[in-house]
Amino acid sequence: MANKQLLSLARRSHKPPSSFTVVRSSSSAAEEFIKPPPPTAMIYDRIAHSLKSKLQKLEKPDIRFLKYGSPHPTQSSHTHILSLPETKITTLPNGLRVATESTSNSRTATVGLWIDAGSRFESDETNGTAHFLERMIFKGTEKRRSEEEIENMGGHLNGYTCREETAYYAKVMGNGVLKAVDILADMLQNSKLEEGCISRERDAILREVQAGEHTEEAVFDHLHSTAFQYSPLGRSIHGAVANIKTISTEHLHHYIHTHYTTPRMVLAASGAVKHDQIVEKANKLFTKLSSDSTTAKEPATFTGSEVRIINDYVPLAKFAIAFEATSSTDPDSIALMVMREMLGSWNKNAGGGKHMGSELAQRVSINGIAESMMAFSTNYKDTGLFGVYAVAKPDCLGDLSFAIMSAITKLAYRVSEDDVIRARNQLKSSLMLHTDGTSPVAEDIGRQLLTYGRRIPIAELFARIDAVDPSTIKRVANRYFYDRDIAISAIGPIKELPDYNWFRRRTYWNRY
Amino acid sequence: MASFLKSFLDPKKNPLAAMHMKSVSKRLRRYGLRYDDLYDPLYDLDVKEALNRLPREIVDARNQRLKRALDLSLKHEYLPEDLQKMQTPFRSYLQDMLALVKKERAEREALGALPLYERTIP
Repeated sequence: MANKQLLSLARRSHKPPSSFTVVRSSSSAAEEFIKPPPPTAMIYDRIAHSLKSKLQKLEKPDIRFLKYGSPHPTQSSHTHILSLPETKITTLPNGLRVATESTSNSRTATVGLWIDAGSRFESDETNGTAHFLERMIFKGTEKRRSEEEIENMGGHLNGYTCREETAYYAKVMGNGVLKAVDILADMLQNSKLEEGCISRERDAILREVQAGEHTEEAVFDHLHSTAFQYSPLGRSIHGAVANIKTISTEHLHHYIHTHYTTPRMVLAASGAVKHDQIVEKANKLFTKLSSDSTTAKEPATFTGSEVRIINDYVPLAKFAIAFEATSSTDPDSIALMVMREMLGSWNKNAGGGKHMGSELAQRVSINGIAESMMAFSTNYKDTGLFGVYAVAKPDCLGDLSFAIMSAITKLAYRVSEDDVIRARNQLKSSLMLHTDGTSPVAEDIGRQLLTYGRRIPIAELFARIDAVDPSTIKRVANRYFYDRDIAISAIGPIKELPDYNWFRRRTYWNRY
Repeated sequence: MASFLKSFLDPKKNPLAAMHMKSVSKRLRRYGLRYDDLYDPLYDLDVKEALNRLPREIVDARNQRLKRALDLSLKHEYLPEDLQKMQTPFRSYLQDMLALVKKERAEREALGALPLYERTIP
């Protein structure tokens, strides 16, 4: 089919004009018959003519397609979605908080325990206990095998350990919620942590530690360990290899006894749940945990430092630059969230490509200096980190560092209203889009109760986000970025990455 | 106002403009080039982007015309007389696309975004 078209094209373009043969025969008398060929003779002229008509159609665009696609970010009102179902919170006599948000039209539910305990609360000798314990708890209790029972119901049982919190949650159908609460309570209070299981789990964890040395997680682990050196936030979650090898049943029981205490736990549920039923069940079941509310926490100190691990045998360099940010309860944390959206993130699969809103993403994509780039803002109880993580080929690290530092420092000098409105809208929509199922909602409830002590209503959160305007951004950037120490962590072929003093100099401009 | 200035430059109204057009046409016809062939993509990156967007046959024809003109110039020759009479130096293929590219770049700059391409001085 294509061949036929090519042949007909060739035939048409080779067809000589009729006047040509006449000219060749008699030269002198027929000169006035020579004329330039009409625009339909050659194929390129025909194509140019049709292209011209198509381009002229672009002059008058169809208004129907321009109705919603305005490139100017605008503030819009969200009052119709702000009245979401209310979160009911009850505090039991032993200190445990039960919080539920029931959406009447869902048939599944997530119920889980969020505990204010993590790798931050360990000491140097016991580092790694929290993560180990979380793995062991899934292995079974005296009466039953928890994972099997949940799977028999058709649900999922999952858990994670962070630096400041641990969570165990189960996603089940609506009629299995009370049984799931039963299983969770059993897991936490009656776990049999026997030696055989422990040694098997130990090997699994050691293998995971070895495998995870080159991932993105490794960069962030190194970043925390250098930024918060000599301080509990600097310890990695899975612990040092020597500690993993020596953890025993007494360590785990001691950890449960001291840190899994009821005032530090939140039982959160969302979906097809009824608040009173869960409160009643929790009252009956959570009896064996201690009600000690002391949370011994050492303050975390930020040290401006860097850690670089050169490895020329991997193809890509990964590095992260971080400033010390604020705690999650500080009002400036909202402004930092908006600034994180202003810096944005980009990778080669991003649909926006070279046309994204953030200037850093545009600079990175137009010049092709990174494989991917992500701004992050994490908050802990008394401190936090704000920075940019990037993955790049080894030859463009200088340009990439310049782009990152100039974008961050620019937030203290020149901020346009359009950028702030766009970032605010993106933050609002990402917060709402993230809490779209029962599990994210339950996690949100648990985390907010642990960090803020209450669940922030959406209306208040949106009001706080809308209160961030360019002058707020400049003030917050001056407070946290202007001439402040940074922490850098880099792994891979990072020979071209500039040194610490280069980065530190670019935390301020001498232009103004 | 604009049309008043244009009447100064219109070859049909101004004999000086007609003389200029005839002279440009003669020089282009001698080498078998069109006026749009003289736009250099290395000089203006908008021309490079416009040529990227044009269909393959048009760009191929442009390159062939440029190669023929280079060959003639090397040999210090002009195109044969009968072929010269068939030339169409002012038939345009690039102006519309170039105007579109420039309009898009102006819109992008007006919105405050970084330009997609920037000419670097070697």
